[in-house]
Amino acid sequence: MTGDAPMAAHSIAEFVQGYENGRTLRGFRCRACGTRTATWGLACSKCGARELEEAELSESGLIVAGTLVAVPSEEFVNEVPYAYVLVELDGGGRVSGWIPGASREEEIAPGTRVRFRPSYKSGVQFEREGTGG
Amino acid sequence: MRETWVVGAASNRYGKLAETAREAATRVALQAIEDAGIEPKAIGHTFVANCFGLTEHQGHLGPLINNGLGIPEVPSVTVESACSSSSAALHEAFVHVAGGFADAALVVGVERLGHLDTMSATGYFAYATDHPFEARSGATFPGLYATLANAYRTRYPTTPEMFGAVAVKNHANAARNPHAHFQKEITMETYLASPIVASPLRLYDCCPFSDGAAAVVVAARETIGTPRNEPLVVRASARAGAVTALQDRSELTSLPSTRRAAELAFRQAKLEPKAIDFVEVHDCFTIAEVLALEDLGFFPRGTAAREGLEGTTARDGRLPVNPSGGLKAKGHPVGATGAGQVVEVFEQVNGRAGGREVPRTGTALTHNVGATGGSCSVHIFGRR
Repeated sequence: MTGDAPMAAHSIAEFVQGYENGRTLRGFRCRACGTRTATWGLACSKCGARELEEAELSESGLIVAGTLVAVPSEEFVNEVPYAYVLVELDGGGRVSGWIPGASREEEIAPGTRVRFRPSYKSGVQFEREGTGG
Repeated sequence: MRETWVVGAASNRYGKLAETAREAATRVALQAIEDAGIEPKAIGHTFVANCFGLTEHQGHLGPLINNGLGIPEVPSVTVESACSSSSAALHEAFVHVAGGFADAALVVGVERLGHLDTMSATGYFAYATDHPFEARSGATFPGLYATLANAYRTRYPTTPEMFGAVAVKNHANAARNPHAHFQKEITMETYLASPIVASPLRLYDCCPFSDGAAAVVVAARETIGTPRNEPLVVRASARAGAVTALQDRSELTSLPSTRRAAELAFRQAKLEPKAIDFVEVHDCFTIAEVLALEDLGFFPRGTAAREGLEGTTARDGRLPVNPSGGLKAKGHPVGATGAGQVVEVFEQVNGRAGGREVPRTGTALTHNVGATGGSCSVHIFGRR
């Protein structure tokens, strides 16, 4: 082995601290193909280039798909009803998140505009724009 | 490469195990070895598949199983590939036998979760998601497949009855399978009345948490004189991977690892999808069966759900799908599921599938997915 151990622009723990404390969605951008993602890695999962740089992801975007979860895992047992959603962020890149209190399918229709909501709770939280909740 | 056969197969009844995973796996492994008509010492390598053994405070199952079979000197390894663990183990066994590193190999998959409640089992399953990026934000396994189901519904006109037809069919098949967790039929009314787990998926769209064990013995044709059973000739053993987190998939109405593994498998077997007589596919949720049938190339995009409703995939239909009852109703003991699919093919071919026989058993395909498609195995079996 020669050289330094490969490093990512940020760690998974720093991603979590980012949305919990720093109130930002940290991600990666591939300098080779332009792909943005929140998912940690040392190389781009689209093109394989080891050229991932730090990128702050947009705080708002559109729901791509999602579901209303009725049977949660243990960590979310006190959060039902809620929605789990995939969000296409405005500047590119998708992130998984949850919307507290969502209980009707219309609330998570594809194309619904949502905004990142900093919270002390687990995970990336979103709220529907203009609803305040 | 040497021609490789599946020469013996066994399964216990899926459901709740009253014994440890170790005991169940050893028992079923011995049944498969006896079914093959060989001695345990003929096994050159044991491949164990198990995901949640640590919840029983027991790891390193391979040597324990081999000890119990009286062959402690035989090497073993545990293969973990989430829900596709035992088809991954079968692939490893195939590679060893076809490549000449072992004349015969044991594949034994086992899972025991019955000692956990639903909530903690849901939590353990969620560890096979991309945890910090999915489960931490509220994803559950039903939730991730529900997200795929909603993407499918958005793209293709789909009625609840189309997903329901998968559940009704697979329960009807499982009702005739003594290995099945649920041996009862359900009606469409029962399906439609069942509670939502993660919209649009209802309770009857979801496979159960099952305990169970399944084992197969594979061997090189040249080392088997007269086989005791009609062997399955392994025509293809293919695996593929894909990006795990749904947030990094460009498409949500298809599993790319299934498409890739299928392409490899059909190329290995030099066959087209129309040559397949029946299939066991990975239906952890009803939507998963629909996606599988399209990704494997059996039906055009957006049509598999309708074909199911029209009876095409019934035991007497054009392409029988999951005659065992599938994960949906036969059950889903995670580490045993892929091997269990091969047990079903073996029983169909050997006339041991009383009451749920499919009309043609010349060529069969098994399809086993790890989690939401981070891994996938496709095997194709033919006759001598």
